[in-house]
Amino acid sequence: MLRYLLRRILVIPFLLLGVASVAFLLSQITKGDPLSALIPERMMSNEAVVEAIKTQWGLDRSLPERYVIYMTRLVQGDLGTSFTTRRPVLTDIAERLPATLELVIAAMIFGCSSGFGLGMIAARFKNTAADISARSFALLGSSLPIFWSGLILLYIFSVKLGWVPGTGRLDARSIAPETVTGFFTIDAILAGNMPALLEALGHLVLPAFVLGWSVTGIITRLIRSSMLDALNQDYVRTARAKGAPEHIVLLRHAFRNALIPTLTIMGFTFAYLITGAVLTEAIFSWPGIGSYAVSAARSLDYPAIVGVTLVGAVAFLLANLLTDVAYAFANPRIKIAG
Amino acid sequence: MSVTEQLSNTNPAERSSARGPWPGLRLPKRLAWVRKLPATAVIGSIVILFWLICAMTVTWWGLPDPLAMVARRLQAPSLAHWLGTDALGRDVLARTLHGAASSIPIAVGVVAVSVFIGSTLGALAGYFGGWIDGLVMRSADITLSFPPILLAMTIAAALGPGLTNASIAMVVVWWPIYARLMRAQVLEVREREHVEAAVAGGAGRLRVLIVHIMPLCWTPTLVNATMDFGQVVLLAASLSFIGLGAVPPSPEWGAMISEGATKFYNWWIAFGPGMAILTVVVSCSFIGDGLRDVFDSRES
Amino acid sequence: MLSSKSNRKSGKRARLAALMTGLLIGSGAFAPAVIAQEPDTLVIARSIGGLNSLDPSRAFCDTCQIYLSSVYESLVTLASDNKSLAPNLAESWEISDDLTQFTFHIKPDAVFSDGSPVEAKDVAWSFQRLLNLKGSPSFLMDGMESVEALDAKTVKVTVSKPNSEFINKVSAPYAAIINSDVAIEAGALADASAATADDAEGWFLETSAGSGPFVLKNYSPESELRLIANANYYGDQPAFDSVVITNIQDSVSQAQALESGAVDIAMQIDADTMASMNSDEVITEIVPSFNFVYIAFSPAATRANGVLTPEVREALTYALDYDGIMDFTVGGNGAKQSAPIPNGFPGTSDLPLRTQDVAKAKQMLADAGYADGFSLIAGYPNDNVYGVDLNLMMQKVQQDLAAVNVSLELQPMTYAVWRDELTGEGLPVTGVYYAPDYFGSGQYVDYFSMIEGTPWASRAGGTQPELVVNATEAELYQKALASSGETSESYYHQLAEEMIGENIIIPLVSPNLVLAFRADIEGVRYSACCNLPLAELSRK
Repeated sequence: MLRYLLRRILVIPFLLLGVASVAFLLSQITKGDPLSALIPERMMSNEAVVEAIKTQWGLDRSLPERYVIYMTRLVQGDLGTSFTTRRPVLTDIAERLPATLELVIAAMIFGCSSGFGLGMIAARFKNTAADISARSFALLGSSLPIFWSGLILLYIFSVKLGWVPGTGRLDARSIAPETVTGFFTIDAILAGNMPALLEALGHLVLPAFVLGWSVTGIITRLIRSSMLDALNQDYVRTARAKGAPEHIVLLRHAFRNALIPTLTIMGFTFAYLITGAVLTEAIFSWPGIGSYAVSAARSLDYPAIVGVTLVGAVAFLLANLLTDVAYAFANPRIKIAG
Repeated sequence: MSVTEQLSNTNPAERSSARGPWPGLRLPKRLAWVRKLPATAVIGSIVILFWLICAMTVTWWGLPDPLAMVARRLQAPSLAHWLGTDALGRDVLARTLHGAASSIPIAVGVVAVSVFIGSTLGALAGYFGGWIDGLVMRSADITLSFPPILLAMTIAAALGPGLTNASIAMVVVWWPIYARLMRAQVLEVREREHVEAAVAGGAGRLRVLIVHIMPLCWTPTLVNATMDFGQVVLLAASLSFIGLGAVPPSPEWGAMISEGATKFYNWWIAFGPGMAILTVVVSCSFIGDGLRDVFDSRES
Repeated sequence: MLSSKSNRKSGKRARLAALMTGLLIGSGAFAPAVIAQEPDTLVIARSIGGLNSLDPSRAFCDTCQIYLSSVYESLVTLASDNKSLAPNLAESWEISDDLTQFTFHIKPDAVFSDGSPVEAKDVAWSFQRLLNLKGSPSFLMDGMESVEALDAKTVKVTVSKPNSEFINKVSAPYAAIINSDVAIEAGALADASAATADDAEGWFLETSAGSGPFVLKNYSPESELRLIANANYYGDQPAFDSVVITNIQDSVSQAQALESGAVDIAMQIDADTMASMNSDEVITEIVPSFNFVYIAFSPAATRANGVLTPEVREALTYALDYDGIMDFTVGGNGAKQSAPIPNGFPGTSDLPLRTQDVAKAKQMLADAGYADGFSLIAGYPNDNVYGVDLNLMMQKVQQDLAAVNVSLELQPMTYAVWRDELTGEGLPVTGVYYAPDYFGSGQYVDYFSMIEGTPWASRAGGTQPELVVNATEAELYQKALASSGETSESYYHQLAEEMIGENIIIPLVSPNLVLAFRADIEGVRYSACCNLPLAELSRK
């Protein structure tokens, strides 16, 4: 077990280097002027300015040279400076990532808990009204385009009903609590600032719901189908025949087995949402890493692109590793594929 | 009983092979499983069928030109224009229906190609193992590690605007999922007795893979693919929403919602395409679930 | 008791739901003014993604204008009539008759935010840095020969050629005066080595070194820009203790934030959204702006295939439905503009407007041998700026040209890709926008005229400059710069007429600006140089 873990962990840096290289190359060979974020349109034809900017940002060197320089700095932990924000990419990520993590964690909490519940109801009461309503709710979550439903919900609950505050992580007038983790909720608790906590939670509610609703969709379906799968297996029939009460059958046997593939999906969903919450971040003006990635991609800000890609890659690889380990723990009979 | 025998059988009790939602329907034996599809799956199939037919034939439906200004701009829904008009005075309903001709074929293409590429690679990786497995899975890992939106955006930005390029980007993003799916299934199935029997019987490895293993492995892929069909429509719409998919004035659903978002108070502009996407994705889910249920009962 | 776990789970879910509902209601009840806030904060909603830098010698964007004009000060500024120059850091100035020497007298009581006096050496240092850093706004100091400090409060700038426009350039927020002592300590340089050795850009993102009524408190890219009042300001203290420019991307969200009171001013609401706003607590005013959206023809673009001759270009301009374009893009809330110099700038009074004449367009095309039309590629950035959705605009242009058998193949692209295409093969047709950097017509001649070497002459002319270069314009521009006042204006007028006749740059719409703000805010106005002068704002 330990050897397996170690092997997996040791591979990660190499995978990350591979991802970084691909990301770097992709952003270099794409069409588009890499200077577009550095020089305004008006100055494009001014040779002196173009030369100066190119030298300052190292864009006057050849591609292989730039690659080597970039990679050497990368392994030392220097992710370079972003073209768009003019700050070190690490600083940008350190500022933006917690915002997304807070949103994604909240969304996962909502999505998974509702997904488990609804999925179990749907499996237990298959093809009844309960099943259908549960699945309909879940379905809507994964079928509605977020950029449509988000706007509508924002309009209804914030503008019309006033139940939730508007966009952003906090009211614009408010000052964020002292940064410790970057999570406004946790930082507020650490600072003992209850009003700040409530305000941060208030702003978190709607975007977490909108994002989490799509997670509900995935989890419900998965739990339902895995449980149905499990409920059809021999050992369940045996358990029932032995007179086990239904809820034991559901939970100890069916749900347990449904959990395993679900954990994998949950892991991947979490990793995916970190950069995939782009549209939610756009609608709710949430300054997270997804929107950072979009503006980086649009301006061909390659240090930022590679930086965000690495973040996404780390998230994915960690999720991969953790779920595989959890999988192995949950069912030791499963051979760990080399 | 052979099919012809069954069909000509006049004994009502023996005619239908299983009671399902459609007891009166006569079906050949091979399609008997259709009976087990829940009503939702059938409704879903009808809706998807509608969209497929729409995508293929809408140009002959006599609708107003989706690209031309036909009335005053930003008109609310009325009898003349059931979903009103958009910012350029174009009929929203006509554009929504024509949008199927953009979105549906793309979804079919992307899913089909992703499934084909992914399943092939996954099956090879799962069966042969070794360096093939390593190569395919590492490529899949690296691709999956990429934030999908970022990957799709970068590729689409690299190749230029347009739905074909967006489709290529989506296939690159999607194939690893099917590779993993197929690989996992192959890994499980290849341990089964009848496969060992075939190998012992001297069948070539490729033949064993194609004839004995893969036919048993396509269930999760099929279910996944039907549901992914809807997800591809969503992703294509998202790409268009951020400006990297369809080229205006093409009436692609995502681009229409993007326009609708900027004219939010003219709700009908986004309503048409939004509902279209919703019906497609929901129907796909129903079909997927229904198929799942059928395979469930088949295996038991 | 037989409580199955699923029942407990649904019970747990019910409790979770109750908790969330409670939080919702609770946060609603707690929403008004709870957590630590500055005493009186003004909140402005804007899309600040375009902000490229907070370093005065490098910043170059619309939001930068707002920042630079409130945190820093230039020697002179634009008066509220958006035409004449008013004293700012300089209480008076003299211009030599030959328009080559500009002498400024700095206000005796002017001090920087750290209390140190504003001196001539700071002006000299700032102008030299602007020129030598070769950043985006460095063109403002083009042609500057020397800047001397005559004494502690008097500075003289000499330019190599007569330039009546130089004084206008000095009024640009980009020509701000920096506290040189503080900046030098932070690593800023102003000499010839600045372009490669200056590394103070990061420092400017956290600290400001100006003399304006506000100072920088905090900047979070794409999130917020927070300013607080300058305690050492030598002039009148601004009405607000703190100003936050918060990032809200699109017009509809800005409108919603404004109506709910979350923000006090929304800067980018478009005409259609404005029409749907109906709150009593919000005032909306429509004012003309100096921004404009245009299409441009590049005859020398490879894919133009030589089709865009002067006659054909003229024909195409007759095919466009200018009223319709105005209607579709800004709902009629804009002004027509025929020359690429904004209405109200020197030389633009009484310029002829372009009109639509489809029959004439067809005739001219037929005469040129294109009765069956042709097709052209139109590549443009798929942005939505100043209330105009370029996609919609280009689709309307496409419709109009289709009526004369000219088919446009629209290629929206990201800004970066568009930039590449523009300088590479060139784009036969493109659509884009422009906003003034300061009040003065010379900047438009520098950019849009077909004088050899200007950006658009290079793009439109490409490898065949003879197709577009206009020697008359070069002469006229020299004369305009060498004269001032009405004489200069008349030269700009002639220049404008030349540019109209060339039909390379076709302005389509000058969108009106929607000023949208809460009813209790006063002093909101649009400024041609500074976008929104923050110091003039107050709450009733």
